Amino acid sequence: MTLNAALFLDHENLVPLIEELGKTLEVVAPVYAEGEPVFATWKGEPLALDADNPLNSPVEFFLPQKEVLFKYVQCSGRYTFQDVPPKSRLILGMRPCDLQAIKVLDEIFGTELPDHPYASKRMSTIIVALNCTSPGERCFCAQMGSGPAAEEGYDLLLTDVGSGYLVESGSPAGMFILRAHSHHFEEALPEHLKEKERLLSLAEEEITNRRPALTPEEIRRAIDETDWGEVEKRCLRCGGCSLVCPVCHCFSVMDRGVPDGERLRCRDSCVMAGFSRMTSGANPRAALGERLRHWYLDKFVYIPEKTGMLGCVGCGRCSSVCLSEIDRWSILREAIE
Amino acid sequence: MEKIHTTCIYCGCGCGLYIHVEDGRVVGASPSPAHPVARGRLCVKGWLVHDFVHHPDRLKVPLIRRGGRQVRASWEDALSLTAKRLKEIKEESGPNAVAVLTSAKGTNEENYLLMKFARAALKTNNVDHVARLCHAPSVAGLSISLGSGSMTNPIKSLARSDAILVTGSNTTGQHPLVAAHILEAQSRGATLIVADPRKTQIATLADIHLKPKLGSDVAWTNGILNLIIERDLADEDFIRERTEGFEALKESVSKYTPEMVERISGISPEDLEKAAIAFAEAPRAAVVYAMGTTQHSNGTDNVLALANLILATGNVGRMGTGINPLRGHQNVQGACDMGALPTVYTGYQKVEDPAAREKMERAWGTDLPSSPGPTAVEMMEAAEEGLIKGIYISGENPMMSYPDREQVKRALESLEFLAVADIFPTETTALADVVFPVASFAEKDGTFTSTERRVQRVRRAVSPPGEARSEWRVAADLMKRLGVDADYSSAEEVMEEIAKVTPPYGGISYQRLGISGLHWPCPDPSHPGTEILHQESFPIGRARFNPVEHQDLELDPEYPFLLTTGRSLFHFHTGTMTRRVHLLNRERPRATVDINPEDAAALGVRRGQKVVVESREHSLEIEADVTEEVPKGTVFIPFHFQEAPVNLLTVHNLDPKSKIPDFKRTCVRIRRADS
Repeated sequence: MTLNAALFLDHENLVPLIEELGKTLEVVAPVYAEGEPVFATWKGEPLALDADNPLNSPVEFFLPQKEVLFKYVQCSGRYTFQDVPPKSRLILGMRPCDLQAIKVLDEIFGTELPDHPYASKRMSTIIVALNCTSPGERCFCAQMGSGPAAEEGYDLLLTDVGSGYLVESGSPAGMFILRAHSHHFEEALPEHLKEKERLLSLAEEEITNRRPALTPEEIRRAIDETDWGEVEKRCLRCGGCSLVCPVCHCFSVMDRGVPDGERLRCRDSCVMAGFSRMTSGANPRAALGERLRHWYLDKFVYIPEKTGMLGCVGCGRCSSVCLSEIDRWSILREAIE
Repeated sequence: MEKIHTTCIYCGCGCGLYIHVEDGRVVGASPSPAHPVARGRLCVKGWLVHDFVHHPDRLKVPLIRRGGRQVRASWEDALSLTAKRLKEIKEESGPNAVAVLTSAKGTNEENYLLMKFARAALKTNNVDHVARLCHAPSVAGLSISLGSGSMTNPIKSLARSDAILVTGSNTTGQHPLVAAHILEAQSRGATLIVADPRKTQIATLADIHLKPKLGSDVAWTNGILNLIIERDLADEDFIRERTEGFEALKESVSKYTPEMVERISGISPEDLEKAAIAFAEAPRAAVVYAMGTTQHSNGTDNVLALANLILATGNVGRMGTGINPLRGHQNVQGACDMGALPTVYTGYQKVEDPAAREKMERAWGTDLPSSPGPTAVEMMEAAEEGLIKGIYISGENPMMSYPDREQVKRALESLEFLAVADIFPTETTALADVVFPVASFAEKDGTFTSTERRVQRVRRAVSPPGEARSEWRVAADLMKRLGVDADYSSAEEVMEEIAKVTPPYGGISYQRLGISGLHWPCPDPSHPGTEILHQESFPIGRARFNPVEHQDLELDPEYPFLLTTGRSLFHFHTGTMTRRVHLLNRERPRATVDINPEDAAALGVRRGQKVVVESREHSLEIEADVTEEVPKGTVFIPFHFQEAPVNLLTVHNLDPKSKIPDFKRTCVRIRRADS
């Protein structure tokens, strides 16, 4: 058995494999919570790998909604600080869109002076990705070039080819897992590889047929031509789009507790007025419409300029949580039609 | 990380959401895609609902006032002292010298046990809660006209309406998930009519925006009815088959000509006619209302007028129709259902009805008082007069939410004993002799009943901080100390008892609730629950038309502005939770008084300047916001902010039929703070 080639994992062998991996790592996987798929710590319950990608992205394991950066303790007038060590985790079933989001975040948080809380979690996490052979209604990853097939960024990549999983490794850590747990795997056959190609091209076709693509130039023009005042009128100000987006990474830092307490970092949102309002009360993006426009510009102009990658991965979550049912793709399309 | 499905703590929408828990701490929240109201969405407060749970300000240990200071005490001491003091007062001055205010933020189980504590242990019907300040007129009014005081239809029904009249409800700000259903109907082609003197977001989205003057709701509603009857647009079959008293209504509304309505309300005859026709011609029309309708000294009449409108147009008992009072707290419906009211036991069984009383006496194995108690605001008056001497308050903050704050302060300070249970220190816990630290929604099991009568589970996700406990345990412990059997091992066991004594909850059990819950009435374990009320008949047989008349309200040339109060999208009620949520408080960090630009110019006031708002008795210094959202002559102040408590200015101007105070119309004058 050569390890660089793809392997085959019987459906029945997946659970024994993650049980073994779970002895040293916390396994996070899509599981059913009251009937709906969510990413949570796997405790042996049925996996929700066949369900749609959960509404909350597993990016929250790298950029939590709220995290303790450190604790501070005051003693005789002096402060001491306690670090919060990252957990060793394995995330199973991360989809290509979320994987692409991590790639963008790596560029933002992980280069030059790395952001320690992000980077430490990133380095202590194994990602076992899952290619999307049955994309959800809301998905437009293919239009954004981030799916339905993952190309890089994973430690291991699974593709459900019907009879089992085709398993590919994408990193030394992935190869190490394949070697250490080789008894679960078989050599993949050429038909497994062919089936993967067939299923993923069908998935891609399904996604692109649902929503006609827009070029980056068209998107830029659409942002300019959208009537943001009209969007503002309809927006119910829930902030959901920015709170659910796997690429959104703005945060706020605060200290809670006197004299002892915690420094917290929590998810923030640029569509909120308080985000850009200054101490004087002046706000460079005073109107909600301007803030929504900024959100799009960040995704389609600023992040690409900074990272070379789009700031939107086409997971469709922003549209699906939108309280005002503003479909992101449609408003851009309508603006240029 | 675990994700636990529960129900949101804020408004009456009752959205399902997941609480994210890691290492015993709440670290996030996300919407529930399978929940029938949330449908994978939340409002901004819901998205951030996790942030206050572990706030360092949480009350963690019981406190007892000793020598003027509140000091740490054991649970045993706090419970014993509370039981002892309430018992002493009861023995010295009679059972009606003690009272219990329960909480619309508590679970059904907690409200039930606190109500039982008042009646079975303290032997008094002096029990009420914040519903008195929000939907008492709905309970009073809709009970008379339809026989049931709650939303007739589920929230999803609104998405299928052809015309929706939203009145006195800032739905987009206060019930965003209900607003989403209304806007869904509009995008499908339904006509949205909004009646509100303020230009709220839903008003700007409306097809027809009526801007009535404060206090003119009966007039314009009667005016619409008059037009509908005149144009033969009333539903005669429905009126004949299912109602009574139509002739008297017809007679009474006939004088509300469009010209007269314009004189009283300022609504033009054209707008009134457009609204009347759109509503009457829609195959399925619904009314949605909230505090703007009820919080008036004629709140019950406002509700009766709206009930007349839906009855005259036959809009009851079908999907897409109905009269829908939106309830402001996640469990204010449940607190009412649980009999946390001075007149009724659970399921609205009257304390004055000997059969109902005997039934409860048998169930609880004790004798019960028969005369109804005073209402919440009346309790404050009785306390000031020395008639009520001991109060147990559960998670309410009357110092911020009741009218006439100075009076409330005098009342609470004059008590011989005050116990308050809460999750955070408040302006009210500061006055208490005993403070109980209790569990927040993320730390306890139980049920909430949402505005649409949906009974849903709230699930314990983490442990309460410090020594804090679920309040159903506190209520049971107090009962035991007063000699009432209260050996409950879980909230579920309390629900089993509720189901036994409450006909509309007869079929409700934790096993059946799942994530979607059940709509009451659900009388037995095989009953699927009732989404739409009054489909075949009304609980009172035929529905009744109740003619109501407009009453001219006094204007005071010395106090030329009308002050109206309410909430902001970013805060909830007295702000104890949301003001501790970083992003929400940053969004709306301080109170402002909204003033129309014309008024501001006349007063020489610019945005951000301090002004003094004065009523006859009190004054309040507050920052001005100059905005078109309020009409000329009207000013608006939200009541979330303890730095600028607007209820200093409001007064005990009670609706005689429901005892709700008029929060929505206070005569004030305004001057620049530097003048």
